[in-house]
Amino acid sequence: MNIGELILVAIESIKSNKLRSFLTTLGIVIGIAAVIAVVGIGQGGRAMLMQEMEKFGTNMFGIWVNYRDGESFRLDDLQINDITVIKENVPQVKYLAPASYGQMQLRGSKGHKSVQVIGTTADYAQVRNLETVWGRFIRDDDAAVGRRVIVLDERTALKLFGPGNPVGKKVMLMSNSAVVVGVIKSDSSMLGFNSQQIAYLPWSFLSRLNGWEVIHELQGSASSKEEVEAAMNLSKKILERRHHAPNHYYAYSLEQEMESANKVTGIMTLIIGCIAGISLLVGGIGVMNIMLVSVTERTREIGIRMALGARRKDILVQFIIESIVLCLLGGFIGIILGYGGALLVARLAKWPPLVSGWTVLLAVGFSVAVGLFFGIYPANKASKMDPIEALRRD
Amino acid sequence: MIKINNLCKTYSTGAFTVPALKGITLEIASGEFVAITGASGSGKSTMMNLLGLLDRPSKGSYLLDGIDVSHLDDNDYARLRNRKIGFVFQAFNLLPRLTALKNVELSMLYAGTKHEERRKRALEVLTLLGLEDRLHHFPNELSGGQNQRVAIARALINNPAIILADEPTGALDSQTGLEIMSIFQELNRQGTTIVLVTHELNIARHSRRILRMADGLIINDEEIARPLDAHNEIQALREKGGRA
Ligand SMILES: Nc1ncnc2c1ncn2[C@@H]1O[C@H](COP(=O)(O)OP(=O)(O)O)[C@@H](O)[C@H]1O
Ligand SMILES: [Mg+2]
Repeated sequence: MNIGELILVAIESIKSNKLRSFLTTLGIVIGIAAVIAVVGIGQGGRAMLMQEMEKFGTNMFGIWVNYRDGESFRLDDLQINDITVIKENVPQVKYLAPASYGQMQLRGSKGHKSVQVIGTTADYAQVRNLETVWGRFIRDDDAAVGRRVIVLDERTALKLFGPGNPVGKKVMLMSNSAVVVGVIKSDSSMLGFNSQQIAYLPWSFLSRLNGWEVIHELQGSASSKEEVEAAMNLSKKILERRHHAPNHYYAYSLEQEMESANKVTGIMTLIIGCIAGISLLVGGIGVMNIMLVSVTERTREIGIRMALGARRKDILVQFIIESIVLCLLGGFIGIILGYGGALLVARLAKWPPLVSGWTVLLAVGFSVAVGLFFGIYPANKASKMDPIEALRRD
Repeated sequence: MIKINNLCKTYSTGAFTVPALKGITLEIASGEFVAITGASGSGKSTMMNLLGLLDRPSKGSYLLDGIDVSHLDDNDYARLRNRKIGFVFQAFNLLPRLTALKNVELSMLYAGTKHEERRKRALEVLTLLGLEDRLHHFPNELSGGQNQRVAIARALINNPAIILADEPTGALDSQTGLEIMSIFQELNRQGTTIVLVTHELNIARHSRRILRMADGLIINDEEIARPLDAHNEIQALREKGGRA
């Protein structure tokens, strides 16, 4: 008797008891559905996060001032000269830009709006992968020549000037005016960071407007992913040396952030995996239970099959296959339900559902393994029956 | 065909040992039609189980078709049951969830016969037994006589050397019983060896040799010069205006 026939026998036997078969596999269905859904949602979310982070470029790093208790903010903790020195001495640093943050009321020909302004230099566009829609970003000679220029993001441009290219138009900020030289593509990022409206000014121009010089943060990018660590640490060292302030600076990299995000999702996957494992275990015990009942109920069938020439092995394999088919059936239903769940959540959260082939394969593998493992005992019991005893039973 | 020598079977249940067969020596030649009779508990079924390789003797030897089975293992037993023996039981023992056709195919399934061949042969044999319009019926949709005919078809399907029937008419009314006997007689005429257990003398008289058992021994072995002819009996019943 070949495997194909045995599978048919198993399916026939499962079909002849549909409700019980379904209830039997419920544990498996739930276990597999949970795994597929959670892994799918988790992987989708992670992929989304990674995609968002990579928009900034994975080589990016930043340096903050690390204020401890009792320390107060000082204007000169980060200076424009620091940038020059770092760029000269740390070859791993490819771009390094100052960022000075503020909030300002901007007025254009069509409207006004309070936006976040960032005072920075040309490098900033490289570090943050900014895309220009019209015109250009801030250039290094803007600062040198003392140009009063401003770069808007799309949303701000729309608010101030309506649709169309605003390059060359005048923006009023406080009592000063600046000329729009470029428009930056607004980020539709989910991380929220950029969903606000932003205007970029040359750092020197913003300092003049403010009446003081301040750099809140340095943002840079290393020449390669591998050199981020070195770029970050060497820059920090130079700052510490120049300002005689050990441990006064805090550096972070996108790489690190991604790693910790990975770690979190890894732990989550592990926890879910344990829960799924337990539910599969419970499901498997359910299957074993029903298979035992089934073997007892079908004692006479087993006797008849033996009388007709079934070897013990044939009976053993028949019941194991029945158990595996039962679990596989549960697994397939679980995969469909789980995928549906992942799809639903992904749609609500607006990220791509990611149920990889591997996950499905793993689920199928688990179903087979559970069926095999929990089918062996009942099947063995069936195959050990004495044909005469079995035939006498009703 | 069958050669047994001093065959003994003792059942031990807890403290008791029950000697069911106490040393039986017997030969059955190919093409014979043997009936085994005897009171209930005389050992008929035990004998059939041994002949059918469903059980092993406690003592004695058994040659089936020239094969000494005493040294064979369970797998060999299963194979011999499959190839050489066709069982017909009192309770039909069809699988309730399979159609007549599928039930008949079952023996061939374990013989490893290919699907088309199985279908073809099962159809052939069921047609031979007048069941060509009942192929897709389930056992609970068939009468007792029809079920027993399905069972006979199943027993015949692998061209066994011998058919063992333990009280095949026990669950049937007398006319249906006769119909079954007429099938056995026809099969025997065509050369099939048949061993049949019955406690009804009327049934036994259709065979050509009657073995009488008592208390685990064969106490009488009798040739029947003129067996009853079931086919004629049915005709006679019909003419008498019995059932149609
Ligand atoms: N499995 C068994 N365990 C114990 N005793 C049994 C078993 N099967 C049959 N016997 C005993 O063996 C004897 C013969 O039984 P059996 O062959 O079934 O008789 P028959 O078929 O002629 O009625 C009886 O005394 C019966 O009680
Ligand atoms: Mg009996």
